[in-house]
Amino acid sequence: MPILTETKKEEKVYRQLESNTLLQQIMFQYMLEGHQASEEKHLAWVTSGFPVEIPVAMGVGVSYPEQYGAVVGSQKVGPELCGYAEEIGYSQELCSYARSSIGSVEKPSESPMEGLPTPQALLACNNICGTVLRWYDAVSEQTGAPVFLLDTPPIDGEQPEHHKEYVRRGIDRLVDFLGRTFNATLTEKRMREVAALSSKAIHLWTSSLAACKNTPSPLNCADRFLAMAPVVSMRGTDLIIDFYQTLLDEVESRVKNSIGAIRDEKIRLLWDNIPPWHAIFRFFNGLAKRGVVFPADTYTHAWSGAIEGDDLYESVVSIYSNVYLNKGLDAKVDKMCELIEDYNLDGFLMFSVRSCKRYSLGQLISKELVTERTGVPGVIIEGDMVDSRVFNEAQIQTRIDALLEMFI
Amino acid sequence: MHLREETVLSYEGVLEQSAANLRQLLKDGEEVIGYIYPHTPLELILAHGLTPSLLRALPGVPGGFEESLQTFACSYIRNLYSQRTNDQMPSLAGLIFPGNTCDSLQNLFDVWRFRFPDDTIFRLTYPVTRHEKDGSTVKYLTTELQLLSEAIEKSLDRPFVSQYFERAKSLIGQFRKDSQYLYGARLLDPSVLSYTDLCRLARAFLTTPLPVIGSEIYAITSSVKEKMKDMGFAGTVDSILRALKTRDFSNIDNFEPIIRPRIIVTGGMVEPQAIANVITGIRGITDSVLVLDLLSFGFKTAFTPPLVTKGTPFEQMAKSILSSPGEPTQEGLIHRVKYLESLFDALQIDGVMICEQSFCDPDQFEAPSIEKAASKHGIRTVRIPIDPELSDRARMEVRIQSFLESLSKS
Repeated sequence: MPILTETKKEEKVYRQLESNTLLQQIMFQYMLEGHQASEEKHLAWVTSGFPVEIPVAMGVGVSYPEQYGAVVGSQKVGPELCGYAEEIGYSQELCSYARSSIGSVEKPSESPMEGLPTPQALLACNNICGTVLRWYDAVSEQTGAPVFLLDTPPIDGEQPEHHKEYVRRGIDRLVDFLGRTFNATLTEKRMREVAALSSKAIHLWTSSLAACKNTPSPLNCADRFLAMAPVVSMRGTDLIIDFYQTLLDEVESRVKNSIGAIRDEKIRLLWDNIPPWHAIFRFFNGLAKRGVVFPADTYTHAWSGAIEGDDLYESVVSIYSNVYLNKGLDAKVDKMCELIEDYNLDGFLMFSVRSCKRYSLGQLISKELVTERTGVPGVIIEGDMVDSRVFNEAQIQTRIDALLEMFI
Repeated sequence: MHLREETVLSYEGVLEQSAANLRQLLKDGEEVIGYIYPHTPLELILAHGLTPSLLRALPGVPGGFEESLQTFACSYIRNLYSQRTNDQMPSLAGLIFPGNTCDSLQNLFDVWRFRFPDDTIFRLTYPVTRHEKDGSTVKYLTTELQLLSEAIEKSLDRPFVSQYFERAKSLIGQFRKDSQYLYGARLLDPSVLSYTDLCRLARAFLTTPLPVIGSEIYAITSSVKEKMKDMGFAGTVDSILRALKTRDFSNIDNFEPIIRPRIIVTGGMVEPQAIANVITGIRGITDSVLVLDLLSFGFKTAFTPPLVTKGTPFEQMAKSILSSPGEPTQEGLIHRVKYLESLFDALQIDGVMICEQSFCDPDQFEAPSIEKAASKHGIRTVRIPIDPELSDRARMEVRIQSFLESLSKS
């Protein structure tokens, strides 16, 4: 019987990570902590690119609406929740993370996990897009929680001194805002502890990502999109260190034993943009059946900067201003080319996400440039990450087929 | 005095008139810098001996964006980009894009730079933060303006000339002063100058900010002032102007509306002239129902405060830009809504037309907040999806007509 079970497991085209069990436990604990913080009137909602180490060091609990959007998408209730926001006037053309979040606040009892716990503050950093401010303003109207914006103007090339100084003043105001809102203080000692934990988690995480340079790749897209959850939402806490160590151990073991994330790796592609959460397993496993693996993507590689040095705040300014989405087209193209070369990829797939203009507009140009520089082909598919109403599977399939035919 | 009859022009006529002025300017050898964001420092461009010209979305532009922009790029940038690919833009020495305002415009710069490498383009990156007290936004924008000035000098070999700057301050300052007065006067008596004419004058000036156009606006403003004085409204107009500028509406003189209903138009970077054109196209309706717009190219441009005299030119411009009425691209929804609510009662507003350009995040996010604010005050609203091509014009007209009829009945 054990042999039969083993054989059956091997028949699966896609290999589950054992560390996913630990991931589920951590995320469950994270959810409980969020509820507790909310009950204690100590919870802030934060955007994925926010320097979360600061509220964490000040003892403020955090929840991530973007992550909640991923949950909404993967539970396939995006159209319903987005619809609740549309009913109160928000256009269907707006970001589906925002709409599903606004919708869940409007009707928590009809939302997964009854929505995120109620926030006492909303912390937005516009280094990932300009939408976050307007989205949080809308949630502020619904909940009464005040919004704090950390403005990180986009960078074209090197970050100029006046940019750095401006963002630094924003950090000062953030500390002041959190102090006033939550009656909390920030000490250098605590900030150093949190920064060290954050850096350690990021180091472990990026080591797992780098392991995907191997053939076969130990991780596929869906693995990374799930495994990134703690590094997005719990950077700076010790809870996640164990998980990322366990993940890295498993990844290294796979590499050592030449075990790939998929059973029969034939084609290695780069993924660009947020995934279609509503179809994440079906989409990537469907491609896995055809031997397509995604050893790298531009999304999960975004969480890679370590806060260190004598002046931690200077480091915060630099890391959070220089995130992938806060840079110009040249930097994005450079990153894609670098990943294609470093991870020995055969081509790339760009998901043009209607919700995300910051990420997606410019992809038509990037596609040309990346192919020109690397010589590998790519294709653009269009849809949405949460709202499955604008995800035309047949059309997407046709486009992907056209790309894959180039590798036969 | 019959200003309306003297100056009324169709939308197409206004566009052609503005374009003709610009063509003449180019023919005369002037170098023109185009800009596409309302809070571009015109004084800075003029100080370099260049003419700033506002490039706007135009009706009747065929496609041309499809190879470079997805369909979910906002209709405004699709239109601008298509104008460029179809060679519908004037010959420009340079073009200034805004940075950090919205994601569509942010990406447009990169796309443009790649597709049109021979174009001279600049980017002025604005702070989104407002209402801070540490002076960091002024400091940041001051440096950005200084860098823009250096880039213009380097690219076009046109240095910043203080004398030109002082002249520009006076010209732009007078335009704002005059257009502010016209806005104030219309709030009391919207028939004193049609909204169409107000838009035409502003458009003409922003397309080619020449002293001759400034003089025309000054002359019309003087006539309107006289009329207000004759009607005994001068004091009330002053009190309205003070309120609009100080954002304190508690001391407006009581007035009896001359025309009802009294409608406000909101909608970010929607073209005021297009709104005026749609309204006047509806049978039996005049644009006197529009007593105020809160549009970026209308009210928000006019009510940008004049430059102060203290500080460097760049600091003066930064302070002025950052003191202008807030945009939905910036921090401060709560302040914008409060401002709107304050003027609802004080200015006896009956309805709000909320215009939204397709795929425009700032417009579309702010619209529900405006609806809620109006509803709190018992004021009716109508949402009008609009694109620069006015492709759904018939339906827009029906919606607006029904809305106005519903107000009349109530």
